Amino acid sequence: MSALRMLITGLVVFAAATLGACKSGGGFSVENINLDTVVKSVGNLRQVKEPEEIQIGDGMAETLLGASPLLDDPELQKYVNGIGMWVALQSERPNLPWHFGVNSSDHINAFAAPGGYVIVTKGMMMQLRNEAELAGVLGHEISHVTRKHHLNALRKSALVNLLGEGVSAATDSKHAELVKQLAGPTKELYARGLDKSDEFEADRIGVVLAARAGYDPYGLPAVLTTLATADPKDNFLSLLYKTHPLPQVRLDKLAPGLGTLDGIKAPQNASRFQLLTRKLRVAASQ
Amino acid sequence: MSNPKRAILIRLFAVLLFAIPAADAAETGYTLRATEVKDKPFLDAATVVTLPEKTQVEIVTRQGAWMQIKTREVKSGWVRMLSVRLGNPDQKPQTSGNLLSAIGIGNRPRTTSSSTVTTGVRGFSEEDLAKAAPNPAEVEKMKGFAVTPGEAGSFASAGKLAAQEVAYFDDDGKPLKVKK
Repeated sequence: MSALRMLITGLVVFAAATLGACKSGGGFSVENINLDTVVKSVGNLRQVKEPEEIQIGDGMAETLLGASPLLDDPELQKYVNGIGMWVALQSERPNLPWHFGVNSSDHINAFAAPGGYVIVTKGMMMQLRNEAELAGVLGHEISHVTRKHHLNALRKSALVNLLGEGVSAATDSKHAELVKQLAGPTKELYARGLDKSDEFEADRIGVVLAARAGYDPYGLPAVLTTLATADPKDNFLSLLYKTHPLPQVRLDKLAPGLGTLDGIKAPQNASRFQLLTRKLRVAASQ
Repeated sequence: MSNPKRAILIRLFAVLLFAIPAADAAETGYTLRATEVKDKPFLDAATVVTLPEKTQVEIVTRQGAWMQIKTREVKSGWVRMLSVRLGNPDQKPQTSGNLLSAIGIGNRPRTTSSSTVTTGVRGFSEEDLAKAAPNPAEVEKMKGFAVTPGEAGSFASAGKLAAQEVAYFDDDGKPLKVKK
């Protein structure tokens, strides 16, 4: 019996005892138990430690990159990591293993996963004018990680309890098992989106992180004004709009705080950005 | 350098220039509400004129909270970014894959007039997500592009970025003293 199997069995027994569901004489087989139901019943038992958080994010990133792989542009990938790392260093969690990537998707969106994973779509990159705008988008995603928005959403489904002691000391097969278990909740979470309050908070923190990194703090608001011109039914934006409040609403919510960043005159680094993203625009125009 | 060589270089440079799709052609927008136009990007700068709601503006540049604009009547002035909506007031919402093209900039090739819609839709739709199989190799690849904090610092210096002290703020815009 694997450690995972043992843990699941433990959870099942615990849940059954808690719920008083273990009727005498009733057939009781681990194989027939719906893991989701069990774990939801058990509820949130404990805080997730950072190594586990990273491992969960790793597993979720496997599914996200399974939906769309990285864009084959090493120079651009390295560039985005430069900006992302610099912005992340301004946060409360500079020591996480931060990883940034541009995927191959034409859809306009960006994603974060626990432990320091941030993915921006090619479609989003195409909408940006300069580095300050990208820094704003990355700042928003970094905030989801530092504030553990996805992790907390996932904890509500309590699957992370599978990562109990012993299981987190991952061997390859245990990791594969974890990823398999996480795939369903990951897909559900990224299709459903976070709470609106999490998105508004990520906007507030995102502009501040970009400002701390020395960028023009109005990068994220500029991106939101671009997105505000779009038809909410646009196919390329369907997932973004399903999972986020409308851009104009986000701008309105952000407006009072933006006032505190009025006096800042800082670089946007448009030329460096335009140079590094030139290939994307050339490819799109052909 | 001989003249023919120089001519070739100049021609090459010109070709390169034109091969790069326009990224900062004029953008247009319109005022969301009655909006003061300032002569400088400051709140206490002199007001040049007040534009009524839905006045069409051409966006010259952005700087922090401000947009430098011009209109038929105003040669140059500054308005608050949040007072301007991109596009024009009578325009239907954009359904193309490229918003920047639709509002006047972005991947619009100089050689043709209209090729704004990206073809070959693929990538991260909800459907793609639903049928995604975990891809551990891509995660390993992603890790390969990681930069160290030291490298990030050098990257920032090269971009003339200096770290600043800026406080978080709450929902009402009040600065938060305690780090969140």
